Amino acid sequence: MNPLPEWFRPIAEYILREGVPETLRMAAISVIASLVIGVVLGTLMTIRFRPLQWLIRLYVEVWRGLPILVTVLFIFWLPAFDVGSRHVQLSAYQSAALALTLWGSAQVAEATRGAVQSIPKEQHEAAAALGFGWVGRQVFVILPQGLRRLVPPMVGLLVNLIQNTTIAFAIGVNETLQAGQRQFENVSSGLTGQTAPSYAPFLIFGFVALLFFLICFPLTRLAAYLERRLV
Amino acid sequence: MRVLASFEWSVIWDNRGPLWHGFTHTIKAGVVGIVLAYVVGLVLGAVRAHRIPLLNQLAVSYVELIRNTPILVQIFFLYYGLPVFGIHLETFTVAWLSITIWGGAFMTENFRAGFEAVPARLREAGYALGFTPVQEFLNVTLPIGGRIALPSTINSAISVIKNTSLLLLIGYPELTYVANNVQSNTFRTFEMFTALAVCYLAIVWTLSALIRFLERRLALPEAL
Amino acid sequence: MKRLVVLAIVVALVTAAAVAATLGSAAPSGGVTQAKLPPKPKLPALPAAVKARGKWLIGVKCDTPPFGWQDTSGKNRGYDVEVARQFAKWAFGSTSKVDFTCVTTASRIGTLTSGRVDVIISTLTWTADRERVIDYSVPYYNAAGRLLVKNNVTVGKLANWMPGKKIVSTSGSIYDRWTHNCFKNTSFQVVSSPAAGVLAVKNDQADAMMYDDAFLVGVAANDNSLKLSSNIFLKVPWGIGIRKNEPDMKRWVDAAVRGMRNRDLFWSILRRTIPRRFWKTFKTNAPSPTIKLQYPRANPPENNCPS
Repeated sequence: MNPLPEWFRPIAEYILREGVPETLRMAAISVIASLVIGVVLGTLMTIRFRPLQWLIRLYVEVWRGLPILVTVLFIFWLPAFDVGSRHVQLSAYQSAALALTLWGSAQVAEATRGAVQSIPKEQHEAAAALGFGWVGRQVFVILPQGLRRLVPPMVGLLVNLIQNTTIAFAIGVNETLQAGQRQFENVSSGLTGQTAPSYAPFLIFGFVALLFFLICFPLTRLAAYLERRLV
Repeated sequence: MRVLASFEWSVIWDNRGPLWHGFTHTIKAGVVGIVLAYVVGLVLGAVRAHRIPLLNQLAVSYVELIRNTPILVQIFFLYYGLPVFGIHLETFTVAWLSITIWGGAFMTENFRAGFEAVPARLREAGYALGFTPVQEFLNVTLPIGGRIALPSTINSAISVIKNTSLLLLIGYPELTYVANNVQSNTFRTFEMFTALAVCYLAIVWTLSALIRFLERRLALPEAL
Repeated sequence: MKRLVVLAIVVALVTAAAVAATLGSAAPSGGVTQAKLPPKPKLPALPAAVKARGKWLIGVKCDTPPFGWQDTSGKNRGYDVEVARQFAKWAFGSTSKVDFTCVTTASRIGTLTSGRVDVIISTLTWTADRERVIDYSVPYYNAAGRLLVKNNVTVGKLANWMPGKKIVSTSGSIYDRWTHNCFKNTSFQVVSSPAAGVLAVKNDQADAMMYDDAFLVGVAANDNSLKLSSNIFLKVPWGIGIRKNEPDMKRWVDAAVRGMRNRDLFWSILRRTIPRRFWKTFKTNAPSPTIKLQYPRANPPENNCPS
């Protein structure tokens, strides 16, 4: 039972083997880092201390406002800098992951701030009355309730991050779309011994789109389901 | 920090011509994309909200397909895939077409939510006044639902503008493309990034401020 | 009788001298004939960083057949890649002692100067401008620029045809500079990959694609709606990109390239990486004991405008 044309099999396997794991790795690292950094920043934003609020607000508005591609290119083109005696230079993969994390953490921070601020004041007062300090209040009372409201949008963020990993294409990371592009180059040059019919690009990029759809669509449904159940 | 100390404004000034052209290309594709996305969103949003048979299913498929695939894949699919069918489009056409298709899907959902949020009693009032469904839509649902949807549609419009940066990969000479070229030749990373940041953030922050302004001004009176 | 003998000796001497002269000009610069060379040349010390790592980090193209591309098993292949593998063999004894980083025309110099790779072997044409930023090894391939056009287009003399036309090529390439220098009335569009350039010509978004002969010959052979015009220009060798102020790296790379040239290894690499029907066309592009390539330092190519 093999619906794929002969010339396409190796290409599909190449995309699945070389590209998809890279996409998923980048997305996983970015989403975890974004969540950690974003929740911390978002909670800090609720402290009534103007300079801190302004600083985090600046971080959020810059990394959310810029196109992710611009952030990626900026980080990738940064000249190497010296940390102590080591010459540090981010690889393409690291640059992309960092850029996605900056964007993702800004999104999470904003969402966290909204969620925490939506917790009624009574909760804060009751927790304070029970003897919780500020950190204790956040950790044991506020955040558990706030984070519940965050879960559906966070699943949505994961979907966005997975899709945004294709931006790493621009700096040469071998993720799913880049894998498809390289094979497309190979067949259209006629110099690699690979032959393909003229509708090859349609099938190759259609296949890439299909892969993303198969990953993202279930997650989108999950987010909708959680929205109904949790909030 | 040595790098920051040698920030050269002259790099930006010397390249102001190409950078300006890049900026106008961004605006050209962006405006066309946003306007057409609004049209698509309005029409399909109405289709979705009123559950018009067959068209509704098609609209759902369209929205789900676009929202669950990366925009860059859509751009490449159009750019490399359409010629297979003998459809040969100019780069500018592929540019605005791809962001229209992408933006239209999000605007559809924005407008659908807006139309569905129009209080039922207002719609019933319209029917009580003798409106046909079309008149109902044009006089009640659209104005009120449109106002409700406005903030989220402007957010989608902001995303469309930001996504014009991806068009550099099909050779559309927009702002990021130009800045990237200048950077490749001169290696002045910070200067180019500053230029890009200023341009994009100016557009994005202005539109965001517009949203906040509109949310206050167009807020529906509580009595309704 | 004595006079005949003297005449015979003179003729023999003259013939011998003539034969020696022809043989002498065919001999490689080392003065040693091919057959007598040991498989591995005497190479200077390997740069310390590479030696400590135990393998090479080399930037190559991954989307430009037949010089740098990836087959469906993920393996890097191509002329440039084979050169890199030869370096690995001579430095560490195995062709697998090299890690490849994919670069594009636009990113290769930045990738080198930022220290992410040891050298770049990535279809890097020599230009005087680039030599201000990086060092070049001795040449390892001689490419020429060609124009890819649709079948019904006649080009003729470049100086007459180019004005008003739209040319496409990859970003950062020598064609970019040359067209901007020499053809002010020609519009030049940059694409992110070679295949996108081909597509632009097929879609009538550009009148011609300007690119390296080896790649375009393959495309034209593969697609019977496209052909190459007869114009050949910018015949400039490629070099391996080396960071400035790394004399030990340059010494090693130059010695390795010369060693490969003297052993005619470039020709065998060419035969391994280019389809058989193009061998004759590109035989003279590879350096060999009889073909020595040189950079046109006295006459920088991008200022060399056709009349």
